[in-house]
Amino acid sequence: MNVRQIRSQLSQGLTMAMVLSSAYIFWKLLSIVTNSGSPLVVVLSGSMEPAFQRGDILFLWNRDQYVDTGDIVVYNIQDRSIPIVHRVVREHIVYEVERPTKEERKKGTKKGKTVKKQLLLTKGDNNEVNDLSLYAYGQKYLDRDRDIVGSVKGYLPKIGYVTILVTENQYFKYAMLGWLVLSVLLTNE
Amino acid sequence: MFSITQRAQDVSSMITTSIGVLAVLISISSLIQLYLNDYNNLSGELSVRKAQNSVKFTRSFGGNARNGKENVRLSFDMETDLTPLFNWNTKQVFVYLVGEYDGLNVLKKAKVAKDESSKVVFWDKIIRDKADAVLDLKNTRSKYTVWDYYQKMGNRTANLKLEYNIQPHVGPLVWGSVDFNYPFEFPEPKNA
Repeated sequence: MNVRQIRSQLSQGLTMAMVLSSAYIFWKLLSIVTNSGSPLVVVLSGSMEPAFQRGDILFLWNRDQYVDTGDIVVYNIQDRSIPIVHRVVREHIVYEVERPTKEERKKGTKKGKTVKKQLLLTKGDNNEVNDLSLYAYGQKYLDRDRDIVGSVKGYLPKIGYVTILVTENQYFKYAMLGWLVLSVLLTNE
Repeated sequence: MFSITQRAQDVSSMITTSIGVLAVLISISSLIQLYLNDYNNLSGELSVRKAQNSVKFTRSFGGNARNGKENVRLSFDMETDLTPLFNWNTKQVFVYLVGEYDGLNVLKKAKVAKDESSKVVFWDKIIRDKADAVLDLKNTRSKYTVWDYYQKMGNRTANLKLEYNIQPHVGPLVWGSVDFNYPFEFPEPKNA
């Protein structure tokens, strides 16, 4: 291999790295603008049919202080990684007394500070009952600040089905890999 | 320049751009149509026929074995016309009857301010077709028994209204409400 070949390979690699990093920058910028950890979500279950089908892409917005009843929200249950897309059927804005932190307990304070929170109950449109049975043990409501990833403002139908196929369908994953390998081998640069 | 990969790349980028532009045009035009249809000025009538409040001691009704929770159910009549919400880009309209009420000075120790509030859904329906958009309900029972964060619901006054969520085929979701101006007082529980 001479110098020219090495240089062209390296510049190809650099272009690839530029494409990947600009995609990453765009994703993170979108996260900042919407204030959401995951501003685009693919619908995985059929619990919101007929409104959302599996494979729809949802645009999230997380800058509202309070979510309204009737909004569609994406939330995470503590310690579980799969986000759930359901509708808010109940909201209560209440003052709750928090449990004192370790430092406060050492100082001897029995009560924590009083915090104003919004507590939510959700339900999928296509489900018979609300999500109480999905929440963590002892959890009766979702906390808007802690559990909500964002509320759905708009959507694109069916385009995200590719990601579902890649994660769930074995053949599709190998087919994609095989196609990538083939395309790398067969291009002549 | 004329290789098959280059051609495939050109075609796919053209398709993506046109789909994007088309999606934006569809969303904007259907939103304009909703405004022209005056979707924000719907009116209707509501009357509550019967309401019951009972104390429940199970987790699926908000309580536990020691502390009961007051649960409210109601049956109502409702008349409203939702046809201005439907156009060619409407996939479904989700309507739900909500009750909005203020906080209650329940906790004796903590200073509970009046700016606590709640909003609960008693009944909902999915309307997929313009033909079903005229609602004329008689003696319809609420779908869900409703409990509050606090134990007490009786004697609290709620403002009942119908809210709707228009789900388009492509574009942003639209929310709105039909105000009935109907303040409703929850009854006291039968088995206190």
